[in-house]
Amino acid sequence: MRKTLTGLLAGIGLSLACSTSAFSQELTIFWAEWDPANYLQELVNQYEAETGVKVTVETTPWADFQTKTFTEFNAKGDAYDMVVGDSQWLGAGSTGGHYVDLTDFFKKHNLGEVMAPATVKSYAEYPGNSGKYWAIPLEGDAVGWSYRKDWFEDPKEKEAFKAKYGYELDVPKDWKALRDISEFFYRPDEKRYGIAIYTDNSYDAMAMGFENALFSYGGELGDYTTYKVDGIINSDKAVAALDAYKELYKFTPPGWAKTFFVENNQAITEGLAAMSMNYFAFFPSLLNEATNPHAKNTGFFANPPGPDGDQFAALGGQGISIVSYSKNQEEALKFLEWFIKDDTQKKWAELGGYTCSKAVLESAEFQNATPYNKAFYETMFKVKDFWAVPEYAELLQQLNQRLYPHIVGGEGSSKEVLDALAGDWKATFAKYGRGQ
Amino acid sequence: MAAVRTGSEIALNRFAVVIVLIVTLIFLAPIYWITSTAFKPRNLATTIPPTVVFEPEISPFVKLFTKRAQLRSAPTPEEYAAAPWWERLVFDGGEKVVRSGKGEVQLSGYPSRFMNSLIVAITSTVLAVGMGTFTAYGFSRFKVKGEQDLLFFILSTRMLPPVVVAIPMFLMYRAVGLNDTHWGLIILYTAFNLSFSVWLMKGFIDEIPKEYEEAALVDGYTRMEAFFKIVLPEAATGIAATAVFCFITAWNEYAFALIMTNRRAQTAPPFIPSQVGSGLPDWTVIAAGTFLFLLPVAIFTFLLRNHLLRGMSFGAIRK
Amino acid sequence: MATAVMTTLDQRTRAASRGMSDISIRNLFIIPTILFLIVFNIFPLLYSLYYSFTDFRASTNAPANFVGLQNYRELLNDPFIWSNFAITAQYVIVSVTGQVLVGFGVAMLLNRDIPFKGLITTLLLLPMMLSMAVVGLFWKLLYDPSWGVINYALGLGNFEWLANPKMALYAVAITDIWMWSPFVMLLSLAGLSAVPKHLYEAAAIDRAGSFYTFFRITLPLVAPILMIAIIFRTMEAFKTFDLAYILTSQPTTEVISIRLYKMAFQEWQTGRSCALAYIVLIMVIAITNIYVKYLNKVKER
Repeated sequence: MRKTLTGLLAGIGLSLACSTSAFSQELTIFWAEWDPANYLQELVNQYEAETGVKVTVETTPWADFQTKTFTEFNAKGDAYDMVVGDSQWLGAGSTGGHYVDLTDFFKKHNLGEVMAPATVKSYAEYPGNSGKYWAIPLEGDAVGWSYRKDWFEDPKEKEAFKAKYGYELDVPKDWKALRDISEFFYRPDEKRYGIAIYTDNSYDAMAMGFENALFSYGGELGDYTTYKVDGIINSDKAVAALDAYKELYKFTPPGWAKTFFVENNQAITEGLAAMSMNYFAFFPSLLNEATNPHAKNTGFFANPPGPDGDQFAALGGQGISIVSYSKNQEEALKFLEWFIKDDTQKKWAELGGYTCSKAVLESAEFQNATPYNKAFYETMFKVKDFWAVPEYAELLQQLNQRLYPHIVGGEGSSKEVLDALAGDWKATFAKYGRGQ
Repeated sequence: MAAVRTGSEIALNRFAVVIVLIVTLIFLAPIYWITSTAFKPRNLATTIPPTVVFEPEISPFVKLFTKRAQLRSAPTPEEYAAAPWWERLVFDGGEKVVRSGKGEVQLSGYPSRFMNSLIVAITSTVLAVGMGTFTAYGFSRFKVKGEQDLLFFILSTRMLPPVVVAIPMFLMYRAVGLNDTHWGLIILYTAFNLSFSVWLMKGFIDEIPKEYEEAALVDGYTRMEAFFKIVLPEAATGIAATAVFCFITAWNEYAFALIMTNRRAQTAPPFIPSQVGSGLPDWTVIAAGTFLFLLPVAIFTFLLRNHLLRGMSFGAIRK
Repeated sequence: MATAVMTTLDQRTRAASRGMSDISIRNLFIIPTILFLIVFNIFPLLYSLYYSFTDFRASTNAPANFVGLQNYRELLNDPFIWSNFAITAQYVIVSVTGQVLVGFGVAMLLNRDIPFKGLITTLLLLPMMLSMAVVGLFWKLLYDPSWGVINYALGLGNFEWLANPKMALYAVAITDIWMWSPFVMLLSLAGLSAVPKHLYEAAAIDRAGSFYTFFRITLPLVAPILMIAIIFRTMEAFKTFDLAYILTSQPTTEVISIRLYKMAFQEWQTGRSCALAYIVLIMVIAITNIYVKYLNKVKER
């Protein structure tokens, strides 16, 4: 008994020793588990071929990404040299001392001009307009829409739609049309539904979904410089936007109560919904017939304008930051210098990554590469984002707690809900000494 | 059994058999569903009505073991023709295999994480059951002041939600360099399983008559010899049963594996769900990962099945 | 605590004369385990006890400020937290009751002359061998009204298991019952098969009804081991996190562990979450204490 035990322990000790052998030069980038991370791995393989430095893209599911990253930061861990962090993390990452200040690097390479302005503002700078940069825009992203071209172009449907609503059935030109089309295609008897929206409240899904309505209706989350929220997040425009978003929930497929990018793509591939909201980064799988049987009949459009013609979309996407606890900061800077080269950015876009480089985005080559790249290009100049303050997660949680029962469970009126949210946010900002 | 079986008794027994079969089928339906999905082509995974008859594929397993990236369009005929058979299976699923800078096929994290799981689960089970048996014997045979309180303390270590201790544990591990190591997880799971192990083993050892050892002591055995030569063999079934439970817990633990480990020591449970993360879930790959991961623990349990039942009943025998 | 162990015990002279004394064997067997558990449980607990009185946020490098009982006061006055506790209580009751009914019921049936008993028992244990996270993923798929198998098999059409706020908690409990009934079944079966046959034979001679036999013979004899199963399942159900978190987003399924997780690892309110963790811990200890007292009473009978 004891002999076997010692033998076993010895064997395990041996395998432990073997598994920790060190590589000469290695960099680790941490990101979430999704296609762009796979594309990035392909891209950095070329860096290894050129320089001999092995770069590994380490991933974890989206649901755990935030937790895992910050647990590592909190312990001042050096497991990751670079992190491709969410735009909302900038506040926590920079004021918490987890990110290396990249202002000099940014200015030296004139990245403010090289990268698209919205990406610089949202993925790199904190606090807003401070001229301090903490990340290099890596993956641009925003919310767009996919739709079923064959349903939209069916002459019978077109005729019926015109008879009912008095205008042509086409890609929605505003949120009113979005609602009408959703209602039109909502046919539970045929197992066909109008629209797929984000409803998951475990992280930022529902907030992103609602923002698409809010910003296009001309509403705002609050004033990002004075932190005033009362009268803004519960303004008439914001209330109308929440009413609109809540109404869309009526036209979703059954059980649409915990949905994010995976489910919304499935709504298209399974032939369930006429239109589906999703980040552009998740569209590649809708183009391939092997993954989407309706690939030939899937079209894309940018988030439509609201009643007053405002047109904005919720921002996704990430910048890459150097972790201040990394022991390979020099090497990481060298890698970033390679990454921002025009050739690299071009290659990055070819592989399927969403470059933030203005030159590449504007090239005809990029815009014609996929059916949605043009919509993406247009959207990237009309994006707005959630609060990026260090306590953004509390603000997010309060929004989820107020909005979810309203949208999914039908509790309270939009005005009541947003008034309550304004109160929560005001208290939170007061707690952290922001604004008055 | 009574010598004469009445008709109603036979009918009752048949009824019981039927109910048991129905319950078993209901319980196994999801398992069957997972297993069959592991061998399905991707497009048949979510059909309604479910596809029952299909040509089994091994593409889910090829995908499980390779690092892949989504393709936006089908590969060119030349690319397809030049690819080996397994790479074609990946192409068929709308993806391509990721290669390193030197052109080598990159493996997914699954195989190494599977190995990590084996190392961590086996070692921590051996430690938890071993220490648990010693401690249970100590409590069972000797007078310990405050025995009830100590036993309750041991039990209470299992009451804490993992979330609660995660942050201090992580900071502590970081300080002593245990994070992202096999030993880190092994110690954690041992601590976690120890309470269960002590409690179960005490039940078994309580039921082994003290007279056995006392007879041995009279024969000139030392207490240690009596423990190893008399008590341990008697408790073998109990040990087997406890080992099964400890192994299952360590094998499937998710929260700490996720927080405490990264690439060197991470076990498989956090990896399998990560396969859902891309634009569309590939249920066949998740099912394949789940199926392979279920095999070791199912085999282990099956091998010990007789001990399991006898071991458990041993603990329940009353004098 | 260690001093409690260091007490005298009656000397067995024969054994003590050779080899190690009983005291040293006892200490050798017990103390390492206790020390090990103290280091890996008490230390983190003290650590979080300290933080529970501060406004510490682990996501920043800012020092922690002492805030006294503020965290506890605010938590106990937060209506959302109380609803989390109510949901947890409901979940524990539904899920543990379900597991005991199903598990014990199946064990009663299996405790007969049934062909392939060993095989069936092993097969029934399969659900609890899966990882919670994976079970959550697959059951979410199974429950889906559009592409899930459950509604198809039961002919329920578009029935919304998880999207209906009233149904969602039961759906999570059903999954938990599926996964953990086998655990209760195994322990019950062990208890049942240990009931001496002659007791039943005696009851049959006395022409006792099956009702009487069950409540007077079977249940009392199985009770201790069933109690152990219930204690462990209650503790696990109280802590449940993965299943509910993966399956649904409903506020009606936000059990206390989910709230705790969000507070600790999404909002990074480390201090406050430590305070909440302590409140949870005290509750679990109180509940388990009642159980253990009851268990000891049952054993004495």
